[in-house]
Amino acid sequence: MQNQRVSRSASQQVSVKATLHGAVAMLGIAMIAAAPWVQAQTTQKDPVLRAMQAEMERAKTLHLGQMQAPYFVEYRMEDVDEFEASADYGALTRRFRVHQRILRVTVRIGDYKTDNSTAQGNGTAQLAAVDDDVTALRYGLWAATDEAYKNALRGYSAKQAQLKGFQTPPTADDFSPAKPVVQIDPLVKLQIDQPLWEHRLAEASGWYASDPAVKAFAPQIQYSAAGLQAVAVNRYLVNSEGAAVRGGHAYYVCSLGAGTQAQDGMRLDRSTSSTAARADQLDAWDAFHARALTMLGTLRALRDAPVVDEEYHGPVLFSGDAAADVFNVLFVPDVEADKPAPGTTARTTGGYKGSYKSRVLPDFMNVTDDPLLTAFAGKDLVGTYDVDDEGVPAQKVQIVSKGILTNYLIGREPVKDFPASNGHGRAPLAQPAHSRSGVMLFTSSDPMPRMQMEAKLLTMARDQGLDAVYSVDTLGAELTPRLLYRVKPDGTKMLVRGAVFDELDQRSLRTDILAAGDDPFVASNTSGAPQTTIAPSILFGEIGVKRASQEQQKLPYYPPPEAK
Amino acid sequence: MVSISARAADPAAKKTTEKSVAQGILLQTMQAELGRAMQSLGHPAAGTAATDAAAQPAPYFISYDVADAYSTRITAQYGALVSSTENHTRVGDIQVRVGSPAQDNTHGTHRTSALSTVTLPLEDDRQALGRSLWFATNRGYGNALQNYLKVKTEQQVRAKEEDSSPDFSVETAVKGLETPVKPETVDVKAWQARLRELSELLRAYPDVFFDAVVLSSDTENDYYVSSEGSVVVSPTQLARLVIIARTRADDGMELFRVLTYEAHVLSGLPAPEKLNVDIAAMGKNLEALRAAPITEPFHGPAILSGRASAVFFHEVLGHRLEGQRQRGDEEGQTFTKDIGKPILPSFLSVADDPTLSTFHGTQLSGHYLYDDEGEPARRVDLIQDGVLKTFLMSRLPIANFAHSNGHGRAQTGKLPTGRQGNLIVISSKTVSDAELRAMLIAEAKKQGKPYGLFFEDISSGFAVTQRSSPQAFSIIPLVVYRVYVDGRPDELVRGVSIVGTPQAALNRIVATDDQPAVFNGECGAESGTVPVSAVAPVMLVSEIETEKQPQGTARPPILPPPPADVSAAKEVR
Repeated sequence: MQNQRVSRSASQQVSVKATLHGAVAMLGIAMIAAAPWVQAQTTQKDPVLRAMQAEMERAKTLHLGQMQAPYFVEYRMEDVDEFEASADYGALTRRFRVHQRILRVTVRIGDYKTDNSTAQGNGTAQLAAVDDDVTALRYGLWAATDEAYKNALRGYSAKQAQLKGFQTPPTADDFSPAKPVVQIDPLVKLQIDQPLWEHRLAEASGWYASDPAVKAFAPQIQYSAAGLQAVAVNRYLVNSEGAAVRGGHAYYVCSLGAGTQAQDGMRLDRSTSSTAARADQLDAWDAFHARALTMLGTLRALRDAPVVDEEYHGPVLFSGDAAADVFNVLFVPDVEADKPAPGTTARTTGGYKGSYKSRVLPDFMNVTDDPLLTAFAGKDLVGTYDVDDEGVPAQKVQIVSKGILTNYLIGREPVKDFPASNGHGRAPLAQPAHSRSGVMLFTSSDPMPRMQMEAKLLTMARDQGLDAVYSVDTLGAELTPRLLYRVKPDGTKMLVRGAVFDELDQRSLRTDILAAGDDPFVASNTSGAPQTTIAPSILFGEIGVKRASQEQQKLPYYPPPEAK
Repeated sequence: MVSISARAADPAAKKTTEKSVAQGILLQTMQAELGRAMQSLGHPAAGTAATDAAAQPAPYFISYDVADAYSTRITAQYGALVSSTENHTRVGDIQVRVGSPAQDNTHGTHRTSALSTVTLPLEDDRQALGRSLWFATNRGYGNALQNYLKVKTEQQVRAKEEDSSPDFSVETAVKGLETPVKPETVDVKAWQARLRELSELLRAYPDVFFDAVVLSSDTENDYYVSSEGSVVVSPTQLARLVIIARTRADDGMELFRVLTYEAHVLSGLPAPEKLNVDIAAMGKNLEALRAAPITEPFHGPAILSGRASAVFFHEVLGHRLEGQRQRGDEEGQTFTKDIGKPILPSFLSVADDPTLSTFHGTQLSGHYLYDDEGEPARRVDLIQDGVLKTFLMSRLPIANFAHSNGHGRAQTGKLPTGRQGNLIVISSKTVSDAELRAMLIAEAKKQGKPYGLFFEDISSGFAVTQRSSPQAFSIIPLVVYRVYVDGRPDELVRGVSIVGTPQAALNRIVATDDQPAVFNGECGAESGTVPVSAVAPVMLVSEIETEKQPQGTARPPILPPPPADVSAAKEVR
């Protein structure tokens, strides 16, 4: 992940831009309200919207015999243009370009209080015409609507039967009404020079053996893989309440990963990536090259590094990169309000279901989620949006204020005490919408410069009479440290390997964070609905660091072919 | 008997090919890495890990099978394009065997432990190819060692196996260097337009709520080398057009038809006029099926069309003659003990002959020159004059059959097993179609039935349907008529399901016609999906048992299909 340290002025500039953007969006809505015919004309020009609106009119007449008619129908169409390529050991292994439209139809039977919906989400998804052929698009919508309605009828009777089995009624309604928004944004286009990137990926995956700075280590490299994913999505939404939304987003991810084994068989992996909302904002190739060489260098250093001490309890300094990973695993999912299992009285699911108005972070920490923040440190953010995937305008939400949980992120499926969406109903491609973060920003009211945090770490070591303390730069899967340093009280650092954290959990977020830095790191996650998490360095007062107990695999049975 | 035309090879052309292919970087790198692996693995001096001959025995067999595949896929639905992609992949299937042919790491339930699959560079880059092959071979060897250890332990504690055949057959090295073929140049725009038109034809049938027109053009060159010294280069090409339409009867029964056309290259597919006619017939047939009465349970004589017979033989007989199904604790072993015994009427013989590329001018999809274990394809006479002679053999031996007969087939990424190629049913008791019909009516009268059945089209995992599953041999009759004894016109019925043991039906074949039909399709099983063909004449069966098909309770679409967009249906394309 890329380290983006920014000065205060840069982030202030960005927030001005964000405000401007918000104003423009508001202006747009105001204008629509004043002159609905302008929007009507635009939607009529777009063949996809025209097909969706025409079939929506017919869907409103849908009913089967004595059965209930739908009270809500939603059409979502995702026009996805994607280019993917990968390379291994210096040569391209895959290139694939695909343009598809994915149609998703959701039908709700019953009423806002109780309908057919379930926790997994409902509806029917299928491929639709990529041609702007209104009739063909309507055929697809027609067939999918019919199927979704019949499924909804079945689901509704199953739900009614299920609810009869519980003593307590659900703690919140199944669905919340929303003011219909009409907003037609310009279409986005995939901007990618395919041959250039194919060449670059091949080159990057071959650096392990071709670059003079690292090639002496090439015989020990077991895999070296580069990848690019470039995706442009134009999303159309029409619902029976009258919403008509067209909006686009894109993301570009370039990555390089490599792996080796230490002499004792321990698997060691490192990777680096660059993620951007626009192709021209990916790292300059020289910068990516430099970062890749650093990455390969640290892989070599890890191979020679000693295994971590058996057990440690004490202060650990997390970089912004590592802290963002910690928050993304331990914090973010649990403020995204998912409906609790039926029959229970909980507010949501997860560790923060009972934490409303309680302490979840130290009192100097604040958290907001602001999808309207379009850029940070001069770069566009992938988690940005102005209308969510359920047609609700995005809102900035204060989640944690002075360490107290004051809000959850809410989509159109409400939870107890939060009856309306705050614009966070978000959907991965082809999937139903759920409550998800957009741009989550962790800040301290008393940010400590990084240098000072490092100094404090050493002071703590001395005060507690410790031989050494720990500082972590990057994490791998399951919050396992990849680059972990053992730091002596005199400040000398030594890379160690084979560690896992112990007792790193929501309790440690609440009680063990001593300070947060002034060095926000922007982490992008594009695996589902694109999300951005911005977090500074974090100093924990006490975390366990233990030796990993994983089995060590055999070293290669024979050496790789010699490099030419 | 039938006349057949095999693809002739020109020996002079082959010689120059051998030279040019031998110079190919891909094949050279495969051979070099395979040699290095055989020399290094299990030999004390070579490894970087501490080597112990007992813990790390040398592999006795390694093979590399690289599929260099180009594909184009275009899909249209409701008259518009849905998807159009082109892809090039190179995938290596690496087999590593530790132990000995008599007992190795693949024994029993460890069959797939020989296989390690790796994505390879698309370019002829020696270093990247070599590294990738090394990575997968090293991983495969580690996996083979682990499984070999398990096999040895398990063998010590289990009871004696019924079939104690070796785990791998010993074969002589094969040298077969065919000319790699270049991928077909597809006029994508033109085909997209054609598929839109074909799909749009189904808009004329308002009860058809689903259609899909899928075109694929595949070119694959397979490169195979083994530690036994085999070197094989073999190309395959296949173009396919599949047209699917679905409707639903008012009582909820789901009805579908599938049209499948295959040829080596796209130019071999039928002309638009023929396709238009076929689609119109399919649309009309679906509308007729919606209105057709539901069949009553029936026990009596029936005629199977050539295509229906071909599917029937592929599913009911062909799969049960695959070698590996005669061995192993979980197999049904229907015919294992029947070698030398009659299992069909004596006027029927069955062969599987992948060497045929066409049959009476129709291309056969199950054609190949070398199987996926590098063995040359050959004709196998499975049943002669009704008597079972042999099985479809891969390199997995079974009792009394120690060798492959060139039927080890697999989809890329799967371990080959005995599979069908071109299954051909040959009859020596043939009559004309008119005579066969007269015989059906006579038989029905004899049995005191008001009618016999005519199965015009049947579907199964064989055809491209949503219902296919690897182990399903279920057969779904799609188009069935009652043929009345009193001279009434034939009547289309729906909802027919064949019950009883299908083998029983095979033994009640009374006569056939003299016009064998070809069914081309895809066949799915443990070793993946492979293209196959089946050829059979029309058959009269003295007794077949059917019941009402239990399917579908959903209603037909509630709203009528949308009207055509008159304002500007196709302004943007």
